[in-house]
Amino acid sequence: MALGRSRRRSRQTDIPKLQLTSMMDMFTILLIFLLVSFSKDVVTMKIDGKIQLPKSAAQADYQDTVRLVVSENTVWLGSQAVAKVQGGRVVGLDPENLEGSVLYQRLKECKSAISRSQDPAVDKDLVLFLCDKRLSFKTINGIIKTAGMAGFPNFQFGVLKQ
Amino acid sequence: MLGDRKPRKRQAEVTDLDLVPIMNMFLVIIPFLLISASFFHLRAINTTVPVLSSKAESGPVQSTAKVTVIVQLEETGITVSAMSDEVDEQTLRGFETVIAKEGTGRYAMDRLSSFLQGIKTSYPLSDTVIIMPGDTIVYETIIRAMDVARNTGETQLFPNVVISGKVG
Repeated sequence: MALGRSRRRSRQTDIPKLQLTSMMDMFTILLIFLLVSFSKDVVTMKIDGKIQLPKSAAQADYQDTVRLVVSENTVWLGSQAVAKVQGGRVVGLDPENLEGSVLYQRLKECKSAISRSQDPAVDKDLVLFLCDKRLSFKTINGIIKTAGMAGFPNFQFGVLKQ
Repeated sequence: MLGDRKPRKRQAEVTDLDLVPIMNMFLVIIPFLLISASFFHLRAINTTVPVLSSKAESGPVQSTAKVTVIVQLEETGITVSAMSDEVDEQTLRGFETVIAKEGTGRYAMDRLSSFLQGIKTSYPLSDTVIIMPGDTIVYETIIRAMDVARNTGETQLFPNVVISGKVG
């Protein structure tokens, strides 16, 4: 009896071994996936979740100095909402008086801030333009013209790699 | 005989690998890779808008002729034309064409690509295309037209893209 009891106790105090093989398999797959999506120049952009960028075969890198984002509902300059888009037109952007718009004023402020920059690598006339692929040219034409008038005639159309 | 068998049994025992250090390493690497992972690869197409210039262009004069191609995107199709100061009007008229939409309602980008290749072959120094979309043309179509006008396969066609609204 005494022997039987002691045997049972020793079995209960055995430390169970963790089965790590399946976890290792999972981590290996995860590691490979993350290695493939590794990028040395990660840029976090907080943009409207509803924006759908067009796909393109373009390979050029972008310069994120001044960023103009046009979603179906809002126009953003950097992280600041500068105008609403309603019914395919930008609210407050009069085609006859583009210079009177808030967008023009904000872009002018950006231009004067960038002009003071001493970095020769920065193109001071360039805007990174991220636009929803479903928007019509009528909507974006006014924005492009306003940017051109505010001193940004060069654009980089942001696209997703095909 | 019995004494011989015992050591063999010990050798045949499967020893468990100690995976804990590898797990520790993975736990360090995975958060680092998660931070550095990019799920959307953003690229850019360089373009310009026409601007008023107060001074004349003072670049070197090219002896070989150049043409500037105009691609008008309309609801019904694509209209292509060319302009140049160095080429006579009759030759330029030869570069005018209308590419109607396909039966499915899609723009015939392949035909546009072939036509632009023809112009590029005739005037290899040409590098500028002006894209003039109609008001109703969606941004995605403009980007597709830009892609076609800039490159065809590995060949570069017109890398300088100017986007302009229609005048009048």
